[in-house]
Amino acid sequence: MTARRPVITSFGFAGLFPVLITVLMAALMLLPIGSGAANIAMPHLVIISVFYWLSSRPLLMPYGACAILGFLLDLWLDVPMGLNMVLLLLTRLFVLNQLKHYKGRSRLVHWAIFTVLTLGLYILSWLIVSTVYGTLWSVKPIALQWGVTAFSYAPVAFVLGRMRRMVL
Amino acid sequence: MWLYMVLAVVLLGLEATGQGLPSQLRAYANDFVSPVLRLLEQPIRAVQAGLERIAGVGDIYLENQTLRDENDRLRQWREAAMQLSRENERLRQMLKVPGREVPPAATARVIGVGGGAFERNVLISAGISDGVRRNLPVVDESGVIGRTIQVGRWTSRVLLVTDLNSRIPVRLERTGDLAIAEGQNEAFLMLRFLPEEIVIREGDRLLTSGHGGVFPPDLPVARVSEVGEGYVRLDPLGILGKLDYVRVLDYHAVPDEDAIALPPKNGEAGEQEQQP
Repeated sequence: MTARRPVITSFGFAGLFPVLITVLMAALMLLPIGSGAANIAMPHLVIISVFYWLSSRPLLMPYGACAILGFLLDLWLDVPMGLNMVLLLLTRLFVLNQLKHYKGRSRLVHWAIFTVLTLGLYILSWLIVSTVYGTLWSVKPIALQWGVTAFSYAPVAFVLGRMRRMVL
Repeated sequence: MWLYMVLAVVLLGLEATGQGLPSQLRAYANDFVSPVLRLLEQPIRAVQAGLERIAGVGDIYLENQTLRDENDRLRQWREAAMQLSRENERLRQMLKVPGREVPPAATARVIGVGGGAFERNVLISAGISDGVRRNLPVVDESGVIGRTIQVGRWTSRVLLVTDLNSRIPVRLERTGDLAIAEGQNEAFLMLRFLPEEIVIREGDRLLTSGHGGVFPPDLPVARVSEVGEGYVRLDPLGILGKLDYVRVLDYHAVPDEDAIALPPKNGEAGEQEQQP
């Protein structure tokens, strides 16, 4: 009996593309884009990318990859360590359970589902951060970032879709 | 999946209990990402510079005229400032008052920003190898922008004055009254603990008071932008929207512990006094 190989390896280098492009998204989130202000809400490109790849090629974004991506983001963004790990793992859990209901539906449906999912994730992250720091965190910046992230899903997913057709 | 989830919860637990491990890990993780950020920012900076150049061509004549006028005014101010500086130095020497200039530990470029909703910080291209340590003040050409909170080998993270965890002891320039400028994770700050009887006006400047030991006194921090019922809103003077190069100041509020001479033990005092 031979040991089961992870599906991600059966695509060769192309199988790593979703993870690599998501790491690039994480780095992009750190760049001083636009005015370079830390006061400008940056869309959560990593959640967008992870949701997109899980909805289109779930096998190429395993739990381990979600955990590592979340860990890297926690290190680089200076948020409580473990926060983005939890968010990305829950994203995968959600998509694997709900994909059968929206697979093959229009982009608008995907967008709506992403918006609802991220609303839940941001509420959870607000609860986690408030618990970790022992103080009720301001809701406004979190609501702003949720809005920016939800709005950015369509254009970012469009670009990722073009990339997917070229590589996979 | 549950293994990863347990790991995440353990990490969150370490954060909640204030363990130093996550902070140390982060400081060195920034060193690894900094080369990637430097590479990625090149095209972005080039595009930004190009756009600014295109936008500036239209009003170049008007801007040139304004700059000439400003240059004339600044020349006069420079002469006055130099005269005052010389006089100040002479008086300091006469009265034996120690100087208050704080030398820079490093000048660094902003190579990354905290793009999340929970923090307001930037990553700069100077670390331990450049003489940067934790809790050093960071300024730009207009005022205080924050302090270093994590220091890696080649990079450091600067907590901006607008972060929710930022509290800076300040004094009102006009009256000298003390207060605290508190970050809100927004573009503005709030003024706290100012005595109620103090009349504060829009446009008043706030400088560091020097209390707390992190910031030297008299650095510009913010300007009062709005005075409302029970609150005072401030606009930071540091240009947080266009951070590029920043200076890390090598400020010691008190001498290092090693530099403080230990009190002599019993018996040693007499011996020391007998030495020639």
